[in-house]
Amino acid sequence: MGSVSEPLTFMMGKYPAVLPAELRYARNHMWCRAADGRARFGFSSYAVRLMQDVYFLDWQVNVGDVLEVKQSIGHIETSKAQSDLFAPIAGKLAVINEELLKDPSAINVDNHGTGWLFDMEHAEGGDAGTMSVQEYYQFLEANWENTQRILKGQI
Amino acid sequence: MSRHRLTVVISQAAGKHPVKRALEEALVAALIMESGLDVSVIPSLYDLSPDHTGRLFLESVHGDMVVLSWLFPRAAFWLLDRDGIKGHLGETLLKPAADDDDDDGEPEAPRGIGAVDVPERHIYCIDLRDAATHDPFIDEVRRIAAECRTRREEKDRAASKPMMVELGTSLTANGTNGTNGVIGEHAATMPTFTAEQLLQAPGRRWYPVIDYSRCTNCMECIDFCLFGVYGVDGLERIAVENQDNCKRGCPACSRVCPEQAIMFPDYKTPAIAGAPVGAIGSLKIDLTRLFGGEAKDAVAQAVAERDRELVADGRDAVGMSVGIAKRQADKPQGPKDDLDNLMDALDSMDL
Repeated sequence: MGSVSEPLTFMMGKYPAVLPAELRYARNHMWCRAADGRARFGFSSYAVRLMQDVYFLDWQVNVGDVLEVKQSIGHIETSKAQSDLFAPIAGKLAVINEELLKDPSAINVDNHGTGWLFDMEHAEGGDAGTMSVQEYYQFLEANWENTQRILKGQI
Repeated sequence: MSRHRLTVVISQAAGKHPVKRALEEALVAALIMESGLDVSVIPSLYDLSPDHTGRLFLESVHGDMVVLSWLFPRAAFWLLDRDGIKGHLGETLLKPAADDDDDDGEPEAPRGIGAVDVPERHIYCIDLRDAATHDPFIDEVRRIAAECRTRREEKDRAASKPMMVELGTSLTANGTNGTNGVIGEHAATMPTFTAEQLLQAPGRRWYPVIDYSRCTNCMECIDFCLFGVYGVDGLERIAVENQDNCKRGCPACSRVCPEQAIMFPDYKTPAIAGAPVGAIGSLKIDLTRLFGGEAKDAVAQAVAERDRELVADGRDAVGMSVGIAKRQADKPQGPKDDLDNLMDALDSMDL
């Protein structure tokens, strides 16, 4: 394990996706910041780079809903892509970032800060089901070649 | 030389999207300045019920028509066909601007059963999402107007005297054409509808639309749907018989259709909403599976959607036991195409 304070930078071709070390990461490419029994989620720089400019974000769930991991919770449309969105962990949806529903551009401008998506209360507590920055980096590395092939195949 | 007017219809977006409404208004303002056009605005085509004034108006138009809507042209064209507003598909040259890539997604030649009772006129469907400002649309409408005029003139030369045969009951004749004093061929036959009648807000609807240029009448949809949406008409052709039995948000029959002939024009996925078949290249990337979506094939997804609606109706889920064609089993194993390869690549990923 390397130093915890240094961010890791995953190179997506020429584009550097910076992964802050103090965050945890979910397999659906969201970062996770846990505090006081809650976890805040947002898109990792990797996800933002794949999507590019976000046009439209829509949630199909409400604050207070109890979500299962990988439950379908919403939809996003960007300049380059669209996707359904899924719950990164199991737990109760505590807060949704309402600002993004009016203007989702903060996802592109400040994905680790004002571009956060929602807070959840862990069903299992702690960091259950998320990865450290090193683990996420390895996850990205292991899948990068395949991801590229998929993207090129689709475009 | 024959003069005829081209009917231009703007089908509004459902809801009150300000950007869309602004484009609609700009278009109307520009189009009414053009000569030789009859311009009308109606609510979203998809939501029009059989007795809605907007649909009655469309039905009363017998000549060439341009329909600008927020739907894929294929969806709009077959939606009109379903509503009894038939014609030959006019080709629009306005295409989505976004795509820089090569245009190799040309759909293969249609091999479906086709439409019946198609009158000798053309209907052009234009997708209002294909440009951000009104100018390209105005240019395209002008081009179409010229094309229709030329086609009409050639036909007139071929058959020395064109005759308009009036079908249906007496309509309010309103024969004079303000700009040039010549009696317009449709102006004479058009009933008058007020703007209020035309724009009366319809309820939102949800139902499948069949593209008969692709439909082979295989009947898989009628076997699959357990809500009685499909039926057959007098010619034993598959038809959407009870469209309001359809379950809002459920596109399951579209997924099981082997020819991609079933469209849900309002569905979020372009392939189901009626995007050109084979033109996946011009569409946005779907990152769903990278972002944690389940790796379901289309049939499994359709079965899950159908079960959800059955349970919501207080019926029992049937899973794969009803209406699943065995075509997958006895289909000869052809070489893998791009989509197969893409799906294989996704399956092999650790998501």
